[in-house]
Amino acid sequence: MDEFNENEIAKLLRLKRHEQPPPGYFENFLHEFHRRQRDELLCEPLWRILLERAQDFMLRLNVRSLTSYPAAITAVLVCAAVISLKIYQEPGTANVAALQSQPALSTAVNAEGEWTLASPVATRIFRTQPLRNLNESAHTHRAATPPRYVLDSVPVSYEPTFRF
Amino acid sequence: MEKPKTDEDQQLVARTQSGDASAFDQLVVKYTPRLYGLVYNMTSNHEDTNDLLQDIFSKAYKAIRGFRGKSSFYTWIHSIAVNMTLNFLKKRGRRFHLSLDDVDASIQNDKEFLELTATSSPVREADLSELQRRLNEAMMKLSDEHRAVVTMFHIQGMPHAEISKILRVSEGTVRSRLFYANRQLQNYLDEFRKNPVG
Repeated sequence: MDEFNENEIAKLLRLKRHEQPPPGYFENFLHEFHRRQRDELLCEPLWRILLERAQDFMLRLNVRSLTSYPAAITAVLVCAAVISLKIYQEPGTANVAALQSQPALSTAVNAEGEWTLASPVATRIFRTQPLRNLNESAHTHRAATPPRYVLDSVPVSYEPTFRF
Repeated sequence: MEKPKTDEDQQLVARTQSGDASAFDQLVVKYTPRLYGLVYNMTSNHEDTNDLLQDIFSKAYKAIRGFRGKSSFYTWIHSIAVNMTLNFLKKRGRRFHLSLDDVDASIQNDKEFLELTATSSPVREADLSELQRRLNEAMMKLSDEHRAVVTMFHIQGMPHAEISKILRVSEGTVRSRLFYANRQLQNYLDEFRKNPVG
């Protein structure tokens, strides 16, 4: 016999399966694992623990899968921005409804807005929030009505002349 | 050695990922004997194996939240074990001593052992501890990568395909490493064949 053949080598190596750790080793391994985990945790600085917790939290949220759809996220953000801007700029729906329920008043205000020389902002205030009735004049107030501090878009010629 | 059911592993992994630490404990209990054999036969040192195994499971626990199931847990944990052991062996270099586990008594009833003692005179003449020492010395003369392949194929009984997945090399590479390692082992064990009693 010259040397071990391949089959014999394989059989010899398989005998190494019988090399086993001391009895009870595998039973104690888990306890040892827990003990080392606790020790590691105690030795770790606070910032690292917090960082790991944050990473765990992000992984639970599955941020990676969210970032794989950047276009969708951008679209959602743009939509949210546009909607929030519109809500901020437009009047409440209650006012619009009030305007629609008073067609005569709104027509008069619109008519007033057409010839006004006031600034666009003031015009818009007049259009959306009618501040006076048709019966009221531009420079007189009834006793019951509270004082108003809004500039009227009334022609200058309507203002009373100063008397010294 | 039978490969564990992957469905069961997947459930345990999912539970671990959702924060159930006891599920990971079950994975540790399940894979400790298998991974112990892998690491021990690559290092031939019980204490190093114990430390490495603790580090392997610790690393796996930290990384398991990022495990997406592209491979089975079996392949994933074996990859971690092999890579960490290879890194350890590179650092350890040639300065090491054998710290071998005892051969359990069941070897006396092992069919292959009985065959070997019946047909091979060196095995018959050498006592068990001498046979064990010679085998481990021969293994340690192999390069780390060759020893990893020999351990997984001959001792752990893994198929070539599984080894190639774990090592992330082609099956051809696995086969060529095995062929080369077997030739080297034949040479290293030649002295034992000639002089079995040392």
